Amino acid sequence: MKYKSLWLGCLALMVLLSCRQNAELPYLGQTTLQDGKTVHHKVGTFACYSQDSQLVDNAVLSQHIYVADFFFTSCPSICPRVIKEMMKINDRFKDEPMVKLVSFTIDPKRDDVARLKLYADNLGIDQSKWYFLTGDKDAVLDLANTFFVPAFEDKDAPGGFDHSGKIILVDKEGHVRSFSEGTDPETTPKLLDDIQTLVDTYKKATK
Amino acid sequence: MIQRAMFMCFVVLLASCNESPYMQGKRLYAANCANCHMDDGSGLASLIPPLKSSKLIGDVSMACVIAYGIRDTIFRDSVFLPREMPSFTRLSETEVTNIINYVNHTWHNDFKETTILDVEAALKKCPK
Ligand code: HEC
Repeated sequence: MKYKSLWLGCLALMVLLSCRQNAELPYLGQTTLQDGKTVHHKVGTFACYSQDSQLVDNAVLSQHIYVADFFFTSCPSICPRVIKEMMKINDRFKDEPMVKLVSFTIDPKRDDVARLKLYADNLGIDQSKWYFLTGDKDAVLDLANTFFVPAFEDKDAPGGFDHSGKIILVDKEGHVRSFSEGTDPETTPKLLDDIQTLVDTYKKATK
Repeated sequence: MIQRAMFMCFVVLLASCNESPYMQGKRLYAANCANCHMDDGSGLASLIPPLKSSKLIGDVSMACVIAYGIRDTIFRDSVFLPREMPSFTRLSETEVTNIINYVNHTWHNDFKETTILDVEAALKKCPK
C-alpha cells in the first residue's frame, strides 16, 4: 500500500516534469519548402515611429522577442481589454530585457506620435519596453494580416475600424510562435508561459 | 445516501449564494460595459474610471451616464485624446435598472435596490 502511493507519486511527478520540458514552441502559419529547406512564415516588414519619436523597425526588434497587438486610441470596443492584458505582460516581464511589447495603431491619421505619448502616459505604465507605433495606414493594415490579425477600415464598425484583439508572440527571427485572445483574460496565462518558454530557449542556446 | 444528498444540496446552495442575484444585469454589463470598465470594474488606468470607487456608485443618476454617455477629452498642450463613454439609447429602462442593480450589488458596500420608478424619475432629471 505504502509503495503503491509512492509509485503513483513518482509517476505523477514524471508526467509533470515531462510536460514542463516539452519546451519548443510551434511555428505558426504556413511553412514552405525552399531549396530543400523548410521556411516558416514571417511577419511583414515595417518602419514606424514610437511614442518617443524613435524609429522602430524589424531590425531594431531582431535582438528581442516581442508581443504585438493592433489598436487605436479612440477605439470604443475591444481595445481597452486588450491593452489591459498587455499591461499584465509588461508587468510580468519588466525585468527581462529580451522581451518587448509593440502596439501598432491602425488609425495613424489620428494617432500621431504626440497622441500615442499622451495615451501611454495616461496608462501610467513603464514605457521602457513598450513601443506604441504609428506609420502609414495602408502599410499597417497590410502588416496586421501578416500577424494573422484581420484589420480593415469599416465605416459601420465602432470607431471606424474592424479588427481582432489577438496578442501575437514573435521570435527574434520574425516567426509567429504563439498568441492569445486579448479579449479573453483566461487565455493570457498560457501566453505568459509561452513567452517564458521562448526566453528560456534563447538563453539555453547561447549557453 | 441521505448524507450525500444533503451535501450536494449544500454545495448547490453555496454556489447560488455566490451568483449575483442580478443575472440579467450581469449579462447586460458583460455585453455593454465590460470591454471598457472590465469584468472586475477596475477600468483602465486614468483613461477609463473604475466603478468601485466611482462617485456615482449607489447614485441613481448613473442612469443618466448610461442613457446619454459622457463626452470628455484629455488635453496636453495642443494634443488631445478622447475620454468618452458612448450613450446607450437602445437599452430600455428595465435594462438600465438591471445594470445599475448589478453594478451596485457587486461594487457598493451599502447596497440598496433601485426600482424602475427610480430610474424613470432620474432620467427625467438628467442634466442636458
Ligand atoms: C467605450 C468605453 C466605455 C463603455 C462601453 C462604457 N463606459 Fe462607462 N465610462 C467610460 C469612460 C471613458 C468614462 C469616463 C468619462 C469621463 O468622465 O471622462 C466612463 C464613465 C462611467 C461612469 C462614471 C464614473 C465616474 O466615476 O465618473 C459610470 C458609472 C459608467 N461609466 C458606467 C458604465 C456602464 C454601466 C456601462 C455599460 C452600460 C459603461 N459605463 C460603458 C467608458 C465606457
